[in-house]
Amino acid sequence: MTDTSPSAAEIASRVAAALLGGYGFVWGFASLGIVLGVAAGLPYEEAQTLLFLLAFLLLLAAFCWAFVAHSVARVWAVLAGGGAAMTGAAWLVQRTLL
Amino acid sequence: MFQSLRLSMAWLHTWFGLVLGYVLMICFFFGSLSVFDREIDRWAIPETRFAPQTMPSYDRMLAAIFPRIEPEAEELDAARARVGGPLPAELPVMNWSAYTTHRDPVLALFAEFAVTNNPNDPYDHVHGHVTVDPRSGAVLPHDRLKIGSEFFYPMHYSLHLHWKNLGYWIVGLAALAMLAALVSGVVIHRKLFAELFTFRPAKRTGRSVLDLHNLTGVVALPFHFVFALSGLTIFAAIYLPVGSTMLEPLAMKHAAIAAEARGLAFLPSDEKAPLASVDAMVAEAKRRWAARGMPGEVGFLHVNHVGDRNSHVSIYRAGSDRVALVGQAVHFDGPSGRVLHEEPPQAPASAINDFLTGLHLQHFEHWLLRWLYVLGGLTGCACIATGFLFFVEKRKRRHAAAGRSGARVVDALGVTAVTGMVIAALAILVANRLLPADLPHRGGWEEAAFWGAWLLAFGHAAWRTAALREARIAPAWREQCWAIAALAVLAVVLNAATTGDHLLHTVAAGQWPVAGVDLALLASAALAALAARRLRRRERAVADPAGVAGTTDTATTEAAHA
Repeated sequence: MTDTSPSAAEIASRVAAALLGGYGFVWGFASLGIVLGVAAGLPYEEAQTLLFLLAFLLLLAAFCWAFVAHSVARVWAVLAGGGAAMTGAAWLVQRTLL
Repeated sequence: MFQSLRLSMAWLHTWFGLVLGYVLMICFFFGSLSVFDREIDRWAIPETRFAPQTMPSYDRMLAAIFPRIEPEAEELDAARARVGGPLPAELPVMNWSAYTTHRDPVLALFAEFAVTNNPNDPYDHVHGHVTVDPRSGAVLPHDRLKIGSEFFYPMHYSLHLHWKNLGYWIVGLAALAMLAALVSGVVIHRKLFAELFTFRPAKRTGRSVLDLHNLTGVVALPFHFVFALSGLTIFAAIYLPVGSTMLEPLAMKHAAIAAEARGLAFLPSDEKAPLASVDAMVAEAKRRWAARGMPGEVGFLHVNHVGDRNSHVSIYRAGSDRVALVGQAVHFDGPSGRVLHEEPPQAPASAINDFLTGLHLQHFEHWLLRWLYVLGGLTGCACIATGFLFFVEKRKRRHAAAGRSGARVVDALGVTAVTGMVIAALAILVANRLLPADLPHRGGWEEAAFWGAWLLAFGHAAWRTAALREARIAPAWREQCWAIAALAVLAVVLNAATTGDHLLHTVAAGQWPVAGVDLALLASAALAALAARRLRRRERAVADPAGVAGTTDTATTEAAHA
């Protein structure tokens, strides 16, 4: 492990991507899932409960993946980018439901 | 991050496990104690050592007690700070509620009061609560700390760090680390079945500690996974507050629709009206539960918009006979007493969520399972503690040779998080029996004893781990084990001396909550003394290397743990 040990900067970036990126991704996933669930006819509470049940399993997967993936840039792109995209989409869908 | 999946997972396992392991120790240990929180309450408050009671009559008893509840002084101070000036002389009552379980002799009553002059928050409010003896209606002294349900239990999910819910977030992060540690642990090991039967206590410390770490991790794997996950889902609204932030408009719209569909007024009408007989409502709710094939007692009773024409009474069933924590609530119109709404069976996601929540909070009545929960929680503690020990064992020679203090710091924090935490928990019990009954802020002093003892244990651990500089076993472990044994016995003796409820009496009288705590204390003392003696033997064996068993067979498996 010695000669391929990641730099302190890469470790910091991975940890930040796993925690902040993972959280942002799950936030986007949960909010988009809730509004789509409501759009599909679920009561808000039921949609939120369903997404809460899935959210932490997804967070676990995103968190682990952030340390396993080859490219840390890709981890950031998928987690932070995906999270932002889903959050934006959720906001737009909510506007159509109010 | 590394070339192989296993190395990346091992890094994740080692470092997140180490950093958040200290928090996880607290969650698992105080979570285990919370399984018997009500019983610890009985031990700590001798005047409540009587049999569990069902919800008493509202009309004949509770109706007279609720108006006597006052807002908590600290909450009023905080409200004054929010308002930026004095509060109105009288804060109107918003709602009253009463809560009990099949293990509660005493009944907790709660009230919420509106803070009507906060320009920034029209819904600002403060809380008050009392504890009553349901046999007589007597209100118990206010500053009796329920050590089990009000101190140990919140400790395991909030760490008593309430500023911006910081404690909840740290515990949530620790729960995520626990889940990740389980996943990565499985990836590292692969031979799960063999781990179940592998424990070689006679091998050298590093090997036997790793065996025990793997065994405890695997044997209770589903338990640990489900508890870490359900801990997160129970507080999901804190960790993912989408409904109170970004999606609040949608959530509020649906809350109003749902309230209207159920006929429950969201706001008071500001027109006064008396409350009909709540006992009659309770009888009707019980009749409806029985008709659905689930007869039961009342667990939670809630009067909303007290004294208003829009008041309603919600009656929830105690979940003593099933895992899922469902209320099967029946809601009544306050002034007329007619049924407004009976909660229908849950939709699928909510039903799964109620099951997970109930599995974690275990309101159901099943004493064997309750003890298995304790065992599962303590298995988790053993898994985390052996993780610390293995971390130190692996590095202590290298660090000692290089003059680095890493292994010593981890060992000192490990002592603090393992034996130091037990010392703190025992110190609060000892303080509870030693402090004068009429001491003002008695509960606060008990809590001070807890934190003070923990701090002392930390100081002792920092001092008595100097042996790590020579890669020897720190005497801090052994000395704190003796402190545990002494404090546990002292607590049992003090209980007998101050209350007369010694073990012969409590066992003969079938007072199991008190007897159980005493017996658990004695068992802890015996275990701690045994551990201290064994540690002594190990320390001597290390000082005399000729006596050390097996040394070299494990380098390959341990490499994956680096």
